[in-house]
Amino acid sequence: MDLIGIIEQGLIASLAAIGVFISFRVIDLPDLTPDGSYVLGGAVSISLMYVGVPWILCLVFGGLLAGFFGVLTAIIHNKLGVNSLLASILIMTMLYSINIRVMNGPNISVPKETAPMEEARYTEKTKLDDLLGIKSSTSISEVDTTKQTKKTLSPFREKSGYNSTILISLIVLISVFSTIIFLRTEFGIALRGYGGNKEGIKNLGINPELMSIVGLFLGNFYAGLAGSLFSMYGGFADVNMGQGIVVTSLAAVILGEIIFGRFHLFYNMMCPVIGAVVYQILLALAMRYGYTIGFQSSDMKLVTSLFIIIVIGLRRVEVRKWLNLKTSE
Amino acid sequence: MKRLVSTLLVVVLFTLSFAVVKVGITQIVDHPALNRIYDGVVDVLKSSGVEVQIEHQSAQGVFQNAIAIAKKFKIDADIIVAIATPSAQAAATEIKDKPVVFSAVTDPISAGLIPKFGKNPGNVVGISDMVPVETHVNLIKTIFPDAKNLAVLYNPGEANSVFIAQETKKYGSQVGLNVIEITGTSANELVTALHANANRIDVAYLSTDNLVASSAEILGQVFEKLGIPVVAGDVDIARKTAVLGFGFDYYRAGVETGQIVLDIINGKSPSEIESRIVSADALTFYINLDRAEKLKITIPKEFLEIADEVVGG
Repeated sequence: MDLIGIIEQGLIASLAAIGVFISFRVIDLPDLTPDGSYVLGGAVSISLMYVGVPWILCLVFGGLLAGFFGVLTAIIHNKLGVNSLLASILIMTMLYSINIRVMNGPNISVPKETAPMEEARYTEKTKLDDLLGIKSSTSISEVDTTKQTKKTLSPFREKSGYNSTILISLIVLISVFSTIIFLRTEFGIALRGYGGNKEGIKNLGINPELMSIVGLFLGNFYAGLAGSLFSMYGGFADVNMGQGIVVTSLAAVILGEIIFGRFHLFYNMMCPVIGAVVYQILLALAMRYGYTIGFQSSDMKLVTSLFIIIVIGLRRVEVRKWLNLKTSE
Repeated sequence: MKRLVSTLLVVVLFTLSFAVVKVGITQIVDHPALNRIYDGVVDVLKSSGVEVQIEHQSAQGVFQNAIAIAKKFKIDADIIVAIATPSAQAAATEIKDKPVVFSAVTDPISAGLIPKFGKNPGNVVGISDMVPVETHVNLIKTIFPDAKNLAVLYNPGEANSVFIAQETKKYGSQVGLNVIEITGTSANELVTALHANANRIDVAYLSTDNLVASSAEILGQVFEKLGIPVVAGDVDIARKTAVLGFGFDYYRAGVETGQIVLDIINGKSPSEIESRIVSADALTFYINLDRAEKLKITIPKEFLEIADEVVGG
């Protein structure tokens, strides 16, 4: 197995997991917007690469725009009194249309060193063409190369001068540590307080609406960042690639919590990262060895969901008692 | 020590001479048309007599899985076959040192797989499932000379279909047909969009869209109720909905893909093989006279003569 490649992919997924961690754990506001904002991140950053924006700025813009839609979810939740899940489903659905607009189609690939030289056409003569009087048009329509502007190439292509593992690790490290530092500031503590008691923090003179806006902005910023990075890494963005991001990220967060437990902020922030990497390794193992024991790739979703149910179930005292397991209480 | 080395050498030679070529087939989702391609590839390889080991992995519509599969094949497969655009993009991005053969990618150029059809340097080669849109549009104009509004049904989430819809618009305006786009991301939405626009549609054109293919049954019923004739760019869809159909069997596309794989196994390099569109003799012309009679459409004799499949009459 290509362990390094798997870890790289896990690290990219961990950014989305950090986002889900913030919305589901830190501010305790279930949010499904990442299923759409993840794609938006990829769509925006690859579209910007075609205009020649440096790739690092593409990543940031992808994240910021995704975060903006998290803010919209929060505003609908606050001002219209809609449940955050419903609000996020509305925004996620809206993003499907927006993503197609941004990419000007359902799929976009990163700019290539060798630009397209012709347009795809059916040029062979079919047996109906004579009857219909179509002249055999073997002429190939070439792409106008004079209009092509300077494009940004992906930092993950070969000979880019960057080491992809170091690059991804660096982005994840910066994300994790800046989030830890942020959560330690007075504002960050208020944010965590909002997660603990949404009404109680009013007594401390903190506006809960502001907290939900900032929390969902951050959550979707990281989802968008993950989408941007994944698109550059994978070489394309597709409108359907966000499907199930929240569920797999949540699985990663829970997996991380089993490994680390929940006590200290620093360890808590490591949960999504380690969880996402371990999840990716488990996935690779299932693909590698599951095939020989009759496991199909389509069973993966079943296994993921069962896994989450079992892990959540094992936390409950009643279930543990019923299974005759030791309880911590 | 000498004995150990020679034993090792014998073992290595033994395994090398009996090493089978491992073909990894990656596919984005389980879908009848895409599975037909897989069948075609497998049949060609099995019947060729070359000893191959085939591993089939489907990403189940999850794009992250497509990349994970590509990474897996990068290590343990010798030749990679990638079915449909996202799987092909993932494989081509990930794998640079092994042959990648794509299939069922309508527009491999915009997908960034190859810069042009024909021979290309690099490790990527394959078969496009582009349909002859120009022929289709002209066929519609010839059989329905009075038609003004042509509806094209597709899912805006599928790259292949969006490309075909653009082509339809282009050729439609050349022959004086006004193209109406009927889009939906589910069978339900498609039927609603169809009903909403029913009174201004003269003819409908269904192409190789996955959603249209999977909802062909219900679309056929709706078109029959509305009395709108259908021309299809895919024979499977045509059988369920259309008066006329002109498209290729995906099994044939699979066979042609399999032949490229076979060429590579026999020592050709991907840069020596041409990337192309499924060949024209794989196209099947389908006519349904029962539906034509109901809609009072007369099909000229010369078309009936060259039809491959005529139903009713």
